[in-house]
This record gives sequence, C-alpha cells and structure tokens, in this order.
Amino acid sequence: MKQLIRLAAVALPALLLSGCIFPPEPKTTEAEEVRILFLVIFALGAIVFVGVEGFLLYAVVRYRRRDDRLPVQHHGNTKVEIVWTVIPTIIVLILFVTSMFTLGSISARSDDATVIEVEGFQWQWTFRYDTGYEVTGTPGDPPAMVVPAGVPVRLVLRSDDVIHSFYVPAFLVKKDVVPFGQGQAPNELEFTITEPGIYRGQCAEFCGDLHADMTFTVDARSEAEYAAWLEDPGEPTPTAQPSIPEDTFVVELSAENIAFSTHELTVPANEPFVIRFTNLESVQHNVSVYDNEETLFEGQAVTGPDATIDYLIQPLDAGEYTFICDFHPIAEMTGTLTAE
Amino acid sequence: MSAQAPVRREGGFPIPLVGMLLFISSEVMFFGGLFAAYFNARASFEGEWGPPPGAPELEILPIALPITLILLTSSLTMHLGVRAISRGNSSRLRLWLVVTLGLGILFLIGQAYDYTQIGFGISDGVFGTVFYTLTGFHGAHVFGGVVGLTILTARAGAGQFSARNHVAVEAVSYYWHFVDVVWIALFTTLYFLR
Amino acid sequence: MATTTATPGSSAYERSWVLDWLTTVDHKKIGVLYIANSFLFFFFAGLLALVIRSELAVPGLQFVDESTFNQSFTMHGTLMIFLFIVPIFSGFANYVVPLMIGAPDMAFPRINALSFWMLPLGGGLIIAGYLVGGAAAGGWTGYNPLTQERFSPGDGTDLWIMGLAVVGTASILGSVNFLTTIFKMRAPGMTLFRMPIFVWTVLVTQALILLATPVITAALIALFIDRNYGGSFFDPSVGGDPILWQHLFWFFGHPEVYIVILPALGVVSEILPVFSRKPLFGYAAFVWATIGIGLLSFSVWAHHMFTTGVVFLPFFTFMTALIAIPTGVKFFNWLATLWRGSLVFTSAMLFALGIVSMFLIGGISGVMLASAPVDFHLQDTYFVVAHLHYVFFGGAAMGVFASAYYWFPKMSGKLLNETLGRIHFALLFIGFNMTFFVQHMLGIQGMPRRIADYAPDAGWTEMNLISTAGAFLIAVSMVPFVINVVTSLMNGRKAGDDPWEGNTLEWATTSPPPTYNFDSLPPIRSERPVFDLRHRDEVPHP
Ligand code: HEA
Ligand code: HEA
Ligand code: CUA
Ligand SMILES: [Cu+2]
Repeated sequence: MKQLIRLAAVALPALLLSGCIFPPEPKTTEAEEVRILFLVIFALGAIVFVGVEGFLLYAVVRYRRRDDRLPVQHHGNTKVEIVWTVIPTIIVLILFVTSMFTLGSISARSDDATVIEVEGFQWQWTFRYDTGYEVTGTPGDPPAMVVPAGVPVRLVLRSDDVIHSFYVPAFLVKKDVVPFGQGQAPNELEFTITEPGIYRGQCAEFCGDLHADMTFTVDARSEAEYAAWLEDPGEPTPTAQPSIPEDTFVVELSAENIAFSTHELTVPANEPFVIRFTNLESVQHNVSVYDNEETLFEGQAVTGPDATIDYLIQPLDAGEYTFICDFHPIAEMTGTLTAE
Repeated sequence: MSAQAPVRREGGFPIPLVGMLLFISSEVMFFGGLFAAYFNARASFEGEWGPPPGAPELEILPIALPITLILLTSSLTMHLGVRAISRGNSSRLRLWLVVTLGLGILFLIGQAYDYTQIGFGISDGVFGTVFYTLTGFHGAHVFGGVVGLTILTARAGAGQFSARNHVAVEAVSYYWHFVDVVWIALFTTLYFLR
Repeated sequence: MATTTATPGSSAYERSWVLDWLTTVDHKKIGVLYIANSFLFFFFAGLLALVIRSELAVPGLQFVDESTFNQSFTMHGTLMIFLFIVPIFSGFANYVVPLMIGAPDMAFPRINALSFWMLPLGGGLIIAGYLVGGAAAGGWTGYNPLTQERFSPGDGTDLWIMGLAVVGTASILGSVNFLTTIFKMRAPGMTLFRMPIFVWTVLVTQALILLATPVITAALIALFIDRNYGGSFFDPSVGGDPILWQHLFWFFGHPEVYIVILPALGVVSEILPVFSRKPLFGYAAFVWATIGIGLLSFSVWAHHMFTTGVVFLPFFTFMTALIAIPTGVKFFNWLATLWRGSLVFTSAMLFALGIVSMFLIGGISGVMLASAPVDFHLQDTYFVVAHLHYVFFGGAAMGVFASAYYWFPKMSGKLLNETLGRIHFALLFIGFNMTFFVQHMLGIQGMPRRIADYAPDAGWTEMNLISTAGAFLIAVSMVPFVINVVTSLMNGRKAGDDPWEGNTLEWATTSPPPTYNFDSLPPIRSERPVFDLRHRDEVPHP
C-alpha cells in the first residue's frame, strides 16, 4: 500500500503536468468560454479530490490497529453532518451557476453568420455552401470545410440515415447530427473561429461500421482569403463522361441496404467495358476498381432511390481486381472483378 | 407459495399479495413506457392523428364499447367471487370464477374480431404501430389473467379455498382489476381523447 | 461443500450432486449459482475488452476488422452490465440478505430459482448472435435508427433484444422477491432502521429495478416490432422518432447505474465498520442518502442527451449535480467511520478502501460531465469511457471483489489466503489506474469512443499503449484470485462462524449456514446484533 502511494505521488503530478489533463488550445470564442468553465469545475473537483483522498490516507496511516482495545463507539454527530451536507451543496450551486452563464453565452446566435449545410451520412460528410458549391468526402479521402475566421459561422446539421455528431476537439463543442423526422428543424451549431488554421474533426456519435473513418478537417482562412476561395473553390472536377461505343461489354451491378447485389463480376480482358450501376437507395454510392492499393478507376457518386450510371472502364489485363464503394468500403460493398 | 416457504404471519398484508402488488407496480411502469411512446408519437405527428388515410375511422360500436363493458363486468364478477369465498361460500366462488373466465375469453375473442375489421395493420404508419402495440400488449395481459383464472377455477373445483385460505384468489383478482384499469385508460386514449 | 456442523437432514432420499444444484430453491445455493454464472460472463466480457484494447494499442487495424470491433464493445458493455455486474450483486444479496435479516429463506423460493435460470438463457441468446453471422453491434445503448433493420440487418440484433428482454424479466421477478422478503420476512426485532446498510442498499436497488426495467422492456419490444413487423416507433423515415428511444433507454439507463453502484456502496458500509471496529457513522443519514439517490435517479436521464439539441439543459444539469450531495454524505460518513478507528487491512478492507478512493474519481468526473457546456466537449469521448469504468470497475467491480473476500468464508467455511488477496489487490489497483486514468486525458484531447482506429498523427498513441498494457495487467491480476479461490475451496483453513468479528446476523450462524439458516437468533436491539452480543458486557446499549 505504501509503495503504491509513493508511486502514485510521483506518477500523478507528472501526468497532470504533461498538460493532457487540460483541453486543447481553444480556437473559437465559444471554446475559450468552455475552457474557462472546464478549469473552474476541474479546480472544484481537484479540491474535493485532494480533500477526500487526503483524509482517507491520513486515516489509513494514523489509525491502523495497534492493540486490541475497542475504539470509542461514535454513532454520529448532527452538527458535522449538517456541515458536510452544506459544503457539497455550495459547490454544486457554484457549478450550476457558472455552467448556466457559459451555456447562455455560447448558445447566442447572430444574424449575419456564414451558413454552411453539413450532411452526415454513413460514412462521411458533405459540406454545402449557399453558392451551390459542395464537397463530399469518402472514408479514404476526407473532405475539408473551408470557413472564414473571425466571423460567426453557422452549421446546419442534417442527416438522412443515422445519428452522427459534428465534433472538432479544438472547438470544445459538439452537436449531434440527428435525422429528425417530419419537419422538425435540424440542429445548428454556431462558432467564431479566432485564428486561421487547419483543425481536425471527426464524427463523435457511433454510426456503424466505419464510424472511425468519418474524419474531416476545418480549414479556417482569413475573411479575404475565404471570399477569394468561395469565388473559385477549384471544384473537384467531375470526370467528363466519355461516350460509350455501341457494342461495349456491359455488366450490371446494383446496391441496396449498403450492400452490392453481387460480390463477383466477370468481364473480358483487354477491352473496355461498362459497369452499369444502379443505386436503389437514397444513400450515396459509387464503384471504383483497385489493383491492390493502386486506383484503376474511380466512379462518380450516385444517389438513389433509383439512379443508374454507366461507368466506362479502360481495358484491364487478365487477372483479379477489387471493386469497392469508396463511401462504404466494408465487406458488403466489396467484390472481386475478374478479367479473362 | 411453495410448501417449505416459512410464512411468518405477523399481521398486515399476506406475502403473496405484497408480491402481486409489487409486480403490478412494475407493470404500471411497463404500460407507462408504452403510453409515453404513444403520447410522444402523437405530439410530434403532423397532420391528422388517427387511422392511416384510407382506413375507416375507429368506431366504438359495434365492438369496442361492448367488449369494454364485458371487461368491466368481469371485474365485478371477480370481486363477487372474492367476496363469496371470504364468507366461505366456495360453490359461489366457483360460479363467479367461471363467469369471469368466460367474460375474459369473450373479450379476447371480441378484440381479435375487432382486429380483422379495423382496416389497418401494425405497419400502417405511426398510429397503426402504437394502436396494435398498446392493445396487443393489453390483450396479452388479459390472456395471462385468463390462464390464472383457469388455474384458480381448477383449484376451486378441487375445493382448495376456504374463508381463511384464499390469498391466491385475491392475488389474481388484483391482477385482473389492474388489467381492467389499463383497458379503461387505453380505451379512453385511443377512442376518445385522441 | 463442507459444513462445520451437521445440517438438519433436508432430503429424505439421496440426490445426485448435480441434480441438487440444478433443482435447488435454497437461497444460498441460488446465490452461489448467480455468482458463478456472473464470473463466467465477466471473464468472457473481459476477454472482449482485451480484444478492444489490443486493437487500439497502436494505430491501424491489426487484429480485427471494424465490424468485429463494434461487436466486441457492444457485447463487452452489454454482458458486463446485464450479465456480470447486476446479477452478481443479486447473487451476493440472495445469499446474505435473508441471513442478515434473520429469515429462513427468500419469500418465493421457486420464483427465485426461475429468475436465476432465465439469466443463462438470456445471456446465451445475446451471445448466440456470434453463431448467426455476427452479434449485435449497435453499442450497449442500441441507439436508433442505427439498430433498425435497414442499418443492422443481422439476426444478432434481434437476439440481443430478446436476450435483454429475458434478462430484464428475470430481474423484475427477482426484485419482487427481494422486496417482499425485506418487507415481510424480517426477524422479530429487526425493524427497518436496524437493518444492515447492505440490506437497505439492496432494498433501494431492487425498487429501482422494479420501476426502471419495465421501461426498457417496453422500448426493446417496440424496437423488435419496428425491426420485424414494420412498426414505426423509432425510424424517422416512416414517421418515427429516434430521440424517443434515447429517452426511454436512459429513463431506464440512469437508474441502472445506481442499481449497479448502490449495493457496492452498501458492501463498503458493512466492511469499513467491521475492520475499523466502529459503528457506521451517521447510519440514518446514510439510509436517507440512499433513498435520496434512488429518487433523484429518475430525474436526470437526459444528461446522456445534452448534445442532441432537444433537451432542457438547465434542469438536467441541476438535477444531475444534486446527486453529488447525497453521495458526498456517504463519503464523509465513511471517513468519519474510519476516524479514530482501529483499522486492519484484510483483503476485503483493501478493496473497500479502493472503492472509496476510486469511485471518488468516477464521481468527480461524473459531476464534470453534468455541466452541459463541459459535456459538449467530452460527450462520446474517452473521458466518458474513463468515467464509466471508474464507477463500474473502480466502484462496483471492486465491490464485487470486496464482497467475495468478505463473504467467502461464510459461503464456503474456508478462509481465503490473505497474501494472494493482497497481490490481487495491488496488481488490480495499478492495472486499473493505468488502463483508465489515461483515458480521461485521451477524452479531453478529443479521442472519440467506439472507434476501431485512429490516425497515427493524432497524438493518442502513447496513452493508448499505456492503457492497453494496463488492461493486460488487470487480466494478470485475476490469476492469483482464481488460484486463491480454487485452492482455498480444496484445502483452505477452516473459517469458523465469525472470522472477522462481524456485526450482522450472518455471522451468528455456522459457515456455511444450514438449510434454514438459524437454529436460534441473538436479540436484535441495534443494527449490529452480533457486535452487541460479543460486547454485551462492555458497551451498555443506550
Ligand atoms: C455505476 C455507474 C455510474 C455511476 C454511479 C455514475 C455516477 C454519476 N454519473 Fe455517470 N455514467 C455511467 C455510469 C455511472 N455514473 C455510464 C455507464 C455512463 C456512460 C453511458 C454510455 O454512454 O455508454 C455515464 C455517463 C454519464 C454522463 C453522460 C456523459 C455523456 O455521455 O456525455 C453524465 C453527465 O452528466 C454522468 C454523470 C454522473 C454523475 C453526476 C454521477 C454522480 O452520481 C456521481 C456522484 C459522486 C460524487 C460526486 C463523488 C462523491 C461526492 C463528494 C465527495 C461530495 C463533494 C463533491 C462534489 C460537490 C463534486 N454520467
Ligand atoms: C461492469 C462494467 C465493465 C467492466 C468491469 C469493464 C471492464 C473493462 N473494460 Fe469496459 N466497458 C463497459 C463496462 C465495463 N467494462 C461499458 C458499459 C462500455 C461501453 C460499451 C459501449 O460503448 O457500448 C465499455 C467500453 C469499454 C471500452 C471502450 C470501447 C470503445 O468505446 O471503443 C474499453 C476500451 O478500452 C473498455 C475496456 C475495458 C477493460 C480493459 C476492462 C477490464 O477491466 C476487463 C478486465 C477483465 C478481464 C481481463 C477478464 C479476463 C481475465 C482473464 C482472461 C484472466 C484469466 C482467467 C483465468 C485465470 C481463469 N471498455
Ligand atoms: Cu457518423 Cu459516427
Ligand atoms: Cu446517467
């Protein structure tokens, strides 16, 4: 027990001092307030912790059994019991009042915020701007949300499938992205970034297989840079559809319930072919072809409930390849493409 | 309940009745959960709350009201049964038990028939789901009560109850009254307050 | 099992040992069955935890794919809660509550057996998911619409629902039994305010089970209807409300966490006085605090839903923080009990002190989470994982081991080896803090929970590695414990009736007690009848 105490006495402060026990550098005005509140509450907790553990350790050391005498049989003492009911009550009230102040100031809304629509889906994000520009990530290629620093930004958080949660640790605030039904307004999250920079974020509500891959970055730029960017965001150019010759070989493939209709496709080797892909649900899918790590073809995304697209794929050598949905790279949306 | 359970009689409530009351309070919470789901669905529903479009409106006649009366009556007959046995009249008890049992079965038949007439199913919208879940679980509880009544009737037939020893009858009667009360709550919410 | 005195011959004919255990309605044997069954599930769920920790040790997917990982933590959480920590306290309570109140058995012995045997059935159903193409993988909280048929098509989720419904029904029957026993079967003189604190905590716990469990049963059934009969309770695409699930789940889920912790706090309140040779300081305050926690627990559920954007934050922050007050009263009563006592550090006492020091950390992190703005940052991060393990493991599971060391002599008639017990405690204590303390920091730095993988440059690798190492140390700490139990059962020293100089009635009978528990009872004039008997000449009772 004693060695343990000594060990803890050295290890705990070391860990605390390492700084990890405090939240990351706050990067929004809201985050600064939350951080202060965190520190206040942490301090209250630390006082309680040191007090209780201190008494405990003292009692353990001081009152170990030395002889067989029966100690005085104290059954209680109303006065001290009242005192130690009042103390935590005061702490609780402080905690409550400070929390409510912070809550009030971080939930304030401004009228002139830059509004960006965020859609979470299994398993990535789409960010839409009111200029019509939008960017959609895939688990292998997370998107960046470009935002202005120094002015309020309001995110409108939508989902059409399951619950996700929009979380950037440096903002110290997260909000669930809930597929509310029936005309209920979507959640919103407002913040003002204090400093340009790139901040990583990720989905915080468990949402199925690739929950861990719902990462993204927030790319905060000065207002001027943001305006310039918004003029010309450098659209991730959708590959122009080449025309498809009449007699091209066609294989059919469809997707429903986040699963391909088949996991085996066979095509002729050394000639172009078409994968006619039908997406039967209102969830984005695509089909891409890989040879181990190397990308041979990356299909454009389509969203159902009933949408068909022809992917023209350039000749492949005989052999086995992998086809996959980049949005849902799970076993149900992976298959073997055999060229022969 | 079991033979070797040493029942301490210190006055107050007999042990089986305490057990039954506790069990009923848990059942209250069960139906409370279902009712919470109902009112939540109703509060967030946009449009007219009720049977899905195309289905006929819910009517209390010719079935719902009569079976309600049947169930209410069965509570009364159950009570009469308990009264009879506490005065030691076991043949009356048998009579009332049989009547209660019959009414309970009649209720179940009526409800099953109602289901065939109602014109929508459990998968027809939110109302369909909550309607069948609530009435279905109530029906299951009535069925449980019917099983209990059957056992009681058999035991009464074997002359196992007397003026001093009939806690089992009382326990089942508590349960039966509870099921009745739940139905009244259901009936008013689904057919009237809606 | 050996008995120290001849037990009254209960069966006129010889039955086989196995049949005897399978058909027993004796509360003590059923209690032992509960405990053994729960430990099996603990080891299985613990192995799943090792899978989780191994996968997270370093970035990248090394051992399992995402889907297996998700099944692992779902099963880990579900089994730990519903088949280990709740039932094991039902087991100890089954064994000792009738003894502590001087009753010959539970009120309904056969229902008692039934509610035990439903547990392996329910647990089996839940685990059977692994055999039909994958166990449930929606988290122990089973949030909607993720657990709808559309997103979780496998049978594993249906089995999870059915298994939980069975386990829930079992615990409701159990609670009817416990409450009736405590209300109606107390020995003459055993008034409510002379009941041992452990019995009080069981009383409140079982009342919570009675009132909270049916709500989750209703929610599970509704989910089952959604999945299998086209219902529309929780799926927004057909008009349902996913948030309703969260309300119903947490209306049960929060009382559930006090269902878990209260018996452990009760055990601490039995052990500290015995090994300090003092009465529990402020017995009545302690009882009221327990009742207060029970009542408050029904009004705080939405603190799990702060980030959903649809709950009234001030109310739930306030009510949640209030719980710190009655819990604080308990802590101060314990400290005052130790004060000027005469302390001996048996293994049971070490674990009890371990709870006081570790549950404190879990409580403080809980109060931090209660503040809505702080929770906005910490919700669904490893900070919550750290919180829940400090209370579940540092509080409740330590309470399991404390109970085991404390009551093993009563149950078996044999003493456990104290040296092995101390080794167990030391390894567990270090391993536990290694595993879970760093998780606070991971959470504060923003690592979300329930992720199978994280980026190598996120800065979380070292702490995850420490955590994984700690988890294996916890596993190692189980070895001396298992050895201790097995060897002591085979050839441990005889315990005698009252090896600890106990206070409560279970120490007034033989170890193990005979079939109907007592030949005669000492007079009951306080909450410590056996103490009064032992010291009848020294301290005249007021
Ligand atoms: C045994 C189980 C147990 C116990 C006892 C508790 C106890 C408490 N819990 Fe915890 N909790 C869980 C199990 C438990 N919890 C689990 C499993 C989850 C996660 C579920 C999931 O999502 O999977 C969770 C999550 C959870 C959340 C939601 C986190 C999130 O997901 O965002 C919150 C928020 O308020 C919370 C709060 C509290 C509080 C205030 C207490 C209080 O009861 C603590 C009170 C105790 C003390 C405070 C210590 C002693 C007091 C003093 C010494 C007095 C002085 C102190 C002060 C005034 C501070 N808990
Ligand atoms: C009582 C409850 C309880 C207990 C005791 C534990 C115990 C442990 N838990 Fe668990 N845990 C939960 C309840 C519990 N947990 C819950 C509710 C969740 C949330 C789930 C969710 O998100 O849905 C969770 C989630 C959870 C996570 C987060 C997963 C995630 O979010 O991705 C992690 C990760 O580290 C973890 C780790 C551990 C570890 C290492 C232990 C260890 O302490 C386990 C130690 C036990 C063993 C190691 C047993 C094996 C022993 C042996 C093999 C010994 C050899 C045997 C013989 C000699 C016979 N747990
Ligand atoms: Cu989306 Cu987790
Ligand atoms: Cu809670």
